Amino acid sequence: MDLVLQLLFTGIGIGSVYALVALGFVLIFRATNVVNFAQGEFSMVAAYLMVVCAVDLSLPYWLSFIIALAGMAVIGVIFNLGVYYPLRHRTYLPVIIATIGASILMANGVLALYGPQPQVLQGWFDTPGIQLGPVYLDNQYLLIIAVTLALVVFNWWFFEHTMIGKKLQATSQDKEMASLLGISVSTMIMITFIYSAVLGGLAGILVAPILFVSIQMGATIALKAFAATIIGGFGDVAGAIIGGIALGIIETFGAAYISVPYKDGFAFLVLVLFLIFRPQGIFGERVAEKA
Amino acid sequence: MTLTRRGFTAGIAAGLAAPYIIGHARAQGGGTIKIGMCAPITGPAAEAGKYATGGAKLAVEAINKAGGILGKQIELIIEDDQTTNPGIVLAFSKLAANPEIVGFLGSIRSTQVHAMAPDVMKLGKPVMFGGTDPNLTKLGNPWLFRFRPNDSYSGRVIAEYGVKTLGKKKWAVLHSTDAFGTAGGKALTEALGPLGATVAIDQGYANQSQDFTPVVLAIKQSGADILGSYFTFENDLGIFARQLRQLGVNIPWVGSPSIVNVTALKLAGPALYGTYGVADYAEESSDASKAFGKTYRDAFKVAPDNQSSWPFDAINVLALAIKNAGSTDPQKIREAILAIKKYPGAEGEYNFDKNGDGLHGYNIVKNDKGNIVFDKHIEFDN
Repeated sequence: MDLVLQLLFTGIGIGSVYALVALGFVLIFRATNVVNFAQGEFSMVAAYLMVVCAVDLSLPYWLSFIIALAGMAVIGVIFNLGVYYPLRHRTYLPVIIATIGASILMANGVLALYGPQPQVLQGWFDTPGIQLGPVYLDNQYLLIIAVTLALVVFNWWFFEHTMIGKKLQATSQDKEMASLLGISVSTMIMITFIYSAVLGGLAGILVAPILFVSIQMGATIALKAFAATIIGGFGDVAGAIIGGIALGIIETFGAAYISVPYKDGFAFLVLVLFLIFRPQGIFGERVAEKA
Repeated sequence: MTLTRRGFTAGIAAGLAAPYIIGHARAQGGGTIKIGMCAPITGPAAEAGKYATGGAKLAVEAINKAGGILGKQIELIIEDDQTTNPGIVLAFSKLAANPEIVGFLGSIRSTQVHAMAPDVMKLGKPVMFGGTDPNLTKLGNPWLFRFRPNDSYSGRVIAEYGVKTLGKKKWAVLHSTDAFGTAGGKALTEALGPLGATVAIDQGYANQSQDFTPVVLAIKQSGADILGSYFTFENDLGIFARQLRQLGVNIPWVGSPSIVNVTALKLAGPALYGTYGVADYAEESSDASKAFGKTYRDAFKVAPDNQSSWPFDAINVLALAIKNAGSTDPQKIREAILAIKKYPGAEGEYNFDKNGDGLHGYNIVKNDKGNIVFDKHIEFDN
């Protein structure tokens, strides 16, 4: 039982990381109908911004956090204007390819500026974790789980109870109709990119103390987050969260009880099963083929 | 003066032969003895390339200061291998096109040495390298000479140190599932049997894992009293080390060289305190290692590592072989390298075997609160 509890905690922790990145995937997909394959690189860039501010420049952690997220907002704007906007009237395929190109550019840009060596970023806590009976709770994982839960509530409130949230929903459902109703579709899409970049950045900053800061960190997480969005349903916010956490639990238990080297395989096996038998995901609409 | 037909013919013949004769004479006895070096000047290992070229240059300077070899100075010609396989093939072909170069330095990366090996065979001149894949000296290529101990020795050293020095017999063997980790884990497992030790758990993991909780819990449940590991990437090592300690596993741990490299120490911090690792270059391991360490620090103001020590040894051994052979003829240099015994290098004592392996042992070092301290050297006769 102790083993199960420990695995469950870790599974939910790592799954919450996938969920945070998956949220970014879903929001952009809802707004633009394309999959942003640079979502993982948003996480990586934010983690490096934190390292520059908090480690290299020795700024206070909270200030570094604000600067890093502000930087991600700027990157969201640049990404929208440079990658999505010029191709917005084309089919979704050129945009998807452009996001892949942008992800390669970001990874290589950081590599050129910062070098290949992984970096250490301390978390917010002085102690790494607490022992609760037989289960060890990593403080950083606890924070990630708490932030994920808070974001679920925030997203629900934001999209259902604010005017801007409703405008975003209208834009994602029917751009032409939204435009006829006087909603600035371009502005709404810009806001979506900014929010997604900040969300991806937040995930990167939160996970950095556990996984370290490296060029590859974004790609590794994004692949799982992508699987999580398929499982949850590509257009569904709640689905992304549940898909991410489910994936974390599945791979942790699969590794413990079946095979460690095939840990990543379980995630993608589940992905393939969903694509075959339930392409719309747990909650989502039937949109998986667009990915 | 009358130009006879015989004189005319002799003149034409001399004219045609002159470039060859001059070229041959240059190759045999020009102003310098030229050594080519393929090094990562650009690409992901560019940082390591600085260490490698630094080590080689130090050896060249010292030899030239002492009067050179065969009355000539050594000249080092460096080509960028871009840290890639096509890059090193191109770099080597550029160097090989120069007939004045008598010997070469290859790479510390086994895959790159594999890539250049067919061209080395065609050229037929000695190439020194640092890659540790045991197969490289079993390719039947007589021109390859290794200046680091190969991986078959690291597994034996980890096993021997854990069993004989630390007195632990119930092992957890953890390794990456890539070629390096699988071969290392196999070598360690095979070495444990003859020492009377048992493997409680043999666990592979995929590179770039984000979480090692299932692995740590499996090791904990196996009841192993010592851990031996082959990690390929420092990120994985760092994540595992932290989780191992957090989940309360504090058994002794002896790892492959990545456990004591600078990046791993930085990432894992206190989680690696008290662990042991195998290291081919350890500054305190011998007088020659200490002397190299001092020379390198004086010249570059940083501590050396194995990236710089093997090229330093390679240049010195090549120069010694040329001196002993009294010639720059490739075959004679080859025979002279194979005849080198008990040469005290920075990496250890060189005793070349028929395959071209110069070193047959490893150093064990300990992580003493973040400082890497030399513990002992373990050498094998076979």
